[in-house]
Amino acid sequence: MRVSGLALRKSTRRAILIWAFLAPSLLIFLLYRILPLAWNVVLSFQAWSPMKPAVFIGLDNYQEMLFDDDVFWQALWNTFGIIASAPIGIAIALGLALLVDSNIRGRDVYRTIIFLSYPLMTVAVAIIWRWMFDERVGLINYVARAAHLVDKPIPFLNSFTWALPSVIAANIWQMLGFYMVIILSGLQTIPGNLYEAAGIDGANAFHRFIRITVPLLRPSLFLCFVIGMLNSVTSFDLVYVMTGGGPGRATEILVTYIYKLGFNQTRFDYAAAVTVTFFILLLGITFLANRLSGGNAGAVERD
Amino acid sequence: MRQRRTWPVHAALTAVSAVMLLPFYWVLKTSISGENIFAYPPSIVPHGANPFYYIDVWYAIPFARYFANSVVVSAITIAANVVLNAMAGYALTQRFRGKKLVLLLFLSCMMIPFQATIIPAYLITGRLGLLDSYLGLSLPLFSTSICIFVYKASFDAVPRSLIDAARVDGLSQWTIIWRVMIPLARSATATNVILSFIWSWNNFMWPLIVTRSPDMQTLPLGLARFLSYQEDSTGALYAFCIMVLAPGLLLFLMAQKEFVQGLAAGATKG
Repeated sequence: MRVSGLALRKSTRRAILIWAFLAPSLLIFLLYRILPLAWNVVLSFQAWSPMKPAVFIGLDNYQEMLFDDDVFWQALWNTFGIIASAPIGIAIALGLALLVDSNIRGRDVYRTIIFLSYPLMTVAVAIIWRWMFDERVGLINYVARAAHLVDKPIPFLNSFTWALPSVIAANIWQMLGFYMVIILSGLQTIPGNLYEAAGIDGANAFHRFIRITVPLLRPSLFLCFVIGMLNSVTSFDLVYVMTGGGPGRATEILVTYIYKLGFNQTRFDYAAAVTVTFFILLLGITFLANRLSGGNAGAVERD
Repeated sequence: MRQRRTWPVHAALTAVSAVMLLPFYWVLKTSISGENIFAYPPSIVPHGANPFYYIDVWYAIPFARYFANSVVVSAITIAANVVLNAMAGYALTQRFRGKKLVLLLFLSCMMIPFQATIIPAYLITGRLGLLDSYLGLSLPLFSTSICIFVYKASFDAVPRSLIDAARVDGLSQWTIIWRVMIPLARSATATNVILSFIWSWNNFMWPLIVTRSPDMQTLPLGLARFLSYQEDSTGALYAFCIMVLAPGLLLFLMAQKEFVQGLAAGATKG
């Protein structure tokens, strides 16, 4: 009797301790992740600004967004463009990872150099690339002119054609090392004897790559895509500093548009509607990518 | 396997390394040479190294103030991350009712980018009265899913027999956590410190939203502001870039292993 009473108290105490340990983190997540998500949804159905009482207006914000707002559509297409560029970066990184993974001298040095740009402050990276792409004093134009590739310098960041690709290039430059590290850790999980067996069976390097490397790397590649997509569609810092969304709206992405709506125009309600759309878009693409990668990328998300 | 010639591999990797390093070299070269950036053609190697651009930065902006703000915000963030994530990570190694739900919550929060929460996050921080304060600047970064899972994996790796042995020796649960678990999870702590430092040190959007007074601005904000009134015409801007990048770069080079392992582990475990 005494023993079971003690055991009960002990297990209750244990449960309290566990929840007490979890509480601070849970509080932060509720306060800055879950609650904002819910608040966005509520706000998107309202007409509200900090000085006025909220009025329920149904789908009016969404209606304006979908039918009367060209900037929204422009920002949406630009965001899609950036998402579509993630696979380019991942493909380059896959090539680099295969090169670095071979047994050559100095592979750690190469890996460090390629990874170096990832942990750097994006604002500084944006300023550096702004300069690289500059029309008058930029290194890229200088090299292109010295090599007689162009007659007149190209105003990359002030051109409607080149601004978005330039921002994307800077983004890939910064993310490349991250993709490579993820792919490298995926490569290390592929048992070497698979390659040996395939070699004995007469498979050449190309077949080994297509039949062994790519299928077994699928979780890593999926992970790269999801993180790369999240990283690039949210590359607020890069766009804000490099172009400010310009010229015109040529590099406006949903995140910079949301920021401008909220904090330059104080249209929190409308910004919330754009945010909800943005978030649904992200979930949809993640779901789709998961399906495309064989639907078994749940292995990545398993406990 | 048969040995192939390695020089094509070296050539390819060297070319890529050059592309990765060239921007750094270019910025560093200009910032230390005091060269006029309108000079055409630009010189390839620095001539007559001097610190003029760095001195410019020191006098043009309150660099020390920005730096101190960044250090305080990062220090608060790092301390909170280590404590909160270690606690949550430890709790997740235990069996309890509702664990699946908590895991699901932490995992799904990874899919919510901070940028998608800024409007309510700003309003919440305002209600808490934390706008324009150090706590307000660091609070959203207090705990991150990746770092919780890094701790969880590290605690899970502590051999069961070791804990049982400690218990047989009569150590209390707390002593086991302090004397056995925490010391064995040292590399998880290192990963937490580095990742939370990088995230808070580089953070731009959140400080942009919550700071009002120039006195509370952090380095990235100072950098963006400097750009807005200097335009690209001065080498001082690039000296400022170097001054801002250096701490992160040094820390990364010193603790590269923990950083990369943390990212890879966090990414695959999470």
